[in-house]
Amino acid sequence: MLKKWAFFIFSLVQIVWLAGCTEKSLESIERDQNFIASLNIQEPSLDFIDEQGNVIATWLFDKAYSGAILLGQDHVLLYGHQLNEIDVYTLSTGKKLYSKKVQVGTTNAYYVENKKQFFITNSKTNTVTSFDEKGNELATQKLGNYPMSMAANKDKLYVINYKDTKLSVLNIDNLKVEQEWPIQKSSHGIAILEETNELWIGGHGEGSKPNSTVKKYDLTTGEEHGEIEMPLMPVGLTKTKDSVLVVSHGHNKLYVADFDGNVKWQLEVGANPFVVNQFKDYIVVAGYDDHTLYFIKEGQVKKTVDVGNGAFQLLVREE
Amino acid sequence: MRKISTRILLLIFAFLMITVFFMYVLTDYLYERLYVEDTREMMVEVGTKLQTMYTSGKVTDEFIADIEHYANYSNLNIFAVRNPRELSACVPFDIDYETLIGPEERQQLLAGEYVQKIGYEPRFDRKLISVVLPLVDQNRLEGIIYIYFPLVKISELANNEVIFLFVSAFIFLIVISFLIYKGIRHIMRPLSNLQRAVEQMSYGNYGTRVPVHSKDEVGKLSSTFNKMAEAIQQEDEAQKTFLATVSHELRTPISYVKGYSEAIQKNIIPENQKEETIQLIVREANRMERLTNELLQLARMENEQAEITLYPIPLAETLREVQKILTHQAKKKSITLHLDVDDALIIKAEEVKLKQIIINIIENAINYSYEQSKVEITAIENNGHAQITIKDYGIGIPQEDLSHVTERFYRVNKARGRADGGSGLGLSIVEQLLKQLDGKIDITSEVEKGTVVKIMLPLMEE
Repeated sequence: MLKKWAFFIFSLVQIVWLAGCTEKSLESIERDQNFIASLNIQEPSLDFIDEQGNVIATWLFDKAYSGAILLGQDHVLLYGHQLNEIDVYTLSTGKKLYSKKVQVGTTNAYYVENKKQFFITNSKTNTVTSFDEKGNELATQKLGNYPMSMAANKDKLYVINYKDTKLSVLNIDNLKVEQEWPIQKSSHGIAILEETNELWIGGHGEGSKPNSTVKKYDLTTGEEHGEIEMPLMPVGLTKTKDSVLVVSHGHNKLYVADFDGNVKWQLEVGANPFVVNQFKDYIVVAGYDDHTLYFIKEGQVKKTVDVGNGAFQLLVREE
Repeated sequence: MRKISTRILLLIFAFLMITVFFMYVLTDYLYERLYVEDTREMMVEVGTKLQTMYTSGKVTDEFIADIEHYANYSNLNIFAVRNPRELSACVPFDIDYETLIGPEERQQLLAGEYVQKIGYEPRFDRKLISVVLPLVDQNRLEGIIYIYFPLVKISELANNEVIFLFVSAFIFLIVISFLIYKGIRHIMRPLSNLQRAVEQMSYGNYGTRVPVHSKDEVGKLSSTFNKMAEAIQQEDEAQKTFLATVSHELRTPISYVKGYSEAIQKNIIPENQKEETIQLIVREANRMERLTNELLQLARMENEQAEITLYPIPLAETLREVQKILTHQAKKKSITLHLDVDDALIIKAEEVKLKQIIINIIENAINYSYEQSKVEITAIENNGHAQITIKDYGIGIPQEDLSHVTERFYRVNKARGRADGGSGLGLSIVEQLLKQLDGKIDITSEVEKGTVVKIMLPLMEE
């Protein structure tokens, strides 16, 4: 009983202390610390977890962030669909590096390491905009309705127009539209497979009819190569060095497929998971409804970590 | 100006409207409270039982079919849903699609609680009461059981009867209003009769009376009015009679004076009779003077409001003085005045008025006594009062006239004229004076035998 109380008071003190800190600085993350971070969007927070499954830091926000990406090794960019600015924090200090005014309606951000650029899609202006690491705007391109999912390969940027029936292929430097491929509405989640020269996309499905397949396209031509049954509503796609990880949030399923599209194994995991990522030897799945991260190895859940409400994105840093 | 009956009618009509409206609201409220609440409880009960059919894992086709099967035999609309699209599973993403349950409801369902909704549901395009129960396995919302029942408003419930309802309410109002109108008219009729009668009175028709049918307030008012009208009428008649009498009484001496003086003027009267005629004129003029004085005195007394101050007077002394004054007058008719008075009597009175009372009465006694008779005056103490008795042995007063002798100008012998010298005001004056002195008068008489007048006056308190 006494222990419980002590823990409760300790937590309370910690929350007050952390909340009090948000304005000035957040808990710093050491430069050489590997982590997988879960962005939770129901009560916006960022949980940093090490490979042992320990929460090493929790950043609580009072802004309605809906997404985050790592900019290189020491910075994290936070954006929100309803916010008119993006914020960049330095992990090693826990301090805000800069804020940048943007249009309300940011749907996604994507960082391209070799270009040292990040890209932001906007659903109100239906555009994608490129920025350098300091937040200087470089180029903007008008796209289809509601651009969101992005992936880059070589000098091309692939953008899915979520409420449209086309995928836009852009020149990554000047953002000129080079191709437009027909795709299903409500598509979400991209994986690029250089090995087979393919691009895989998932999606929710249109109207009340849920989608249950991941579709394969020729990376150069956009020609559809077929589809893989991965029910229900596969939206989280991540390519690892030997497989493609897919989570279907409709059936709470993790599918692990080889590059030919054969499902090697599958696992029912989490409640309403939207993202999957590789962290060290683990496949990590985030359950949106049960706010839990599942660490999976050898086809089995090895450990679970409680995170904030609405785990929606996973950021991985490892050397 | 609106009539009272109209106002009462409007008031009752307003109350009726309020009652009808209140009944409607109350019915609606009871419908909401009892019917809706009852339905909701029943739905929750049914839903909770159906929920137990689900154990774990995915919601199977079999389960959905079972629910459908049950629904076929139930008067509730029940179905199971496992499509995550309908369950707002895609919520972090922008969905251009109306889901069956919203994000907040999803949170509630995830927590294992049921959701209840009352109101318009776009999916079904009508107002519903619905209960949604979750099928949860390991924090996963695998599906829901959706139960709904169309929520019909009370007016919709009546549907075809709604017009009937309104029409009957309308007719009810009309009929009730008509009956109330009739009722009020019945109740108000005596009042309007009364109002008309008062109007007639104000025009001077004092004979107006209203019929009295009831004993209620209006009935009492009517009978009081009748009494008042009676009194006014009597007073009016008395006034007229008085005026007529006064004019008559004055006219007679005036015609005497006029006739004789004209005769003298025209030398019709022989020289030797002139003296006698002039005496006659003087006598009549005196009579006239006395009459007007007495009238004036009477009128003054009636108007006199101020209290007069009473003081102790030895009664015996006053009576002796009066006897002295009237002895001469009595001797003319050879009448003797006998005085028998208790010397100890001190009364509370005003001397002048007291003297006038006694003089008036004794004068009357002398006037109506036969010659060579007597008038007896006695004064004794009786019951804390001084009782003065004046007894004569004269012509007396007939029984039927006795109660009228104090009225103004009332004469027992109407034909007798002025021969006995009375103006008909003497006893009236006595009565008025006695009123001022807190005294009383009592007259008893027997024709041809005589009259006894008893005067009671308050004694001085020791």
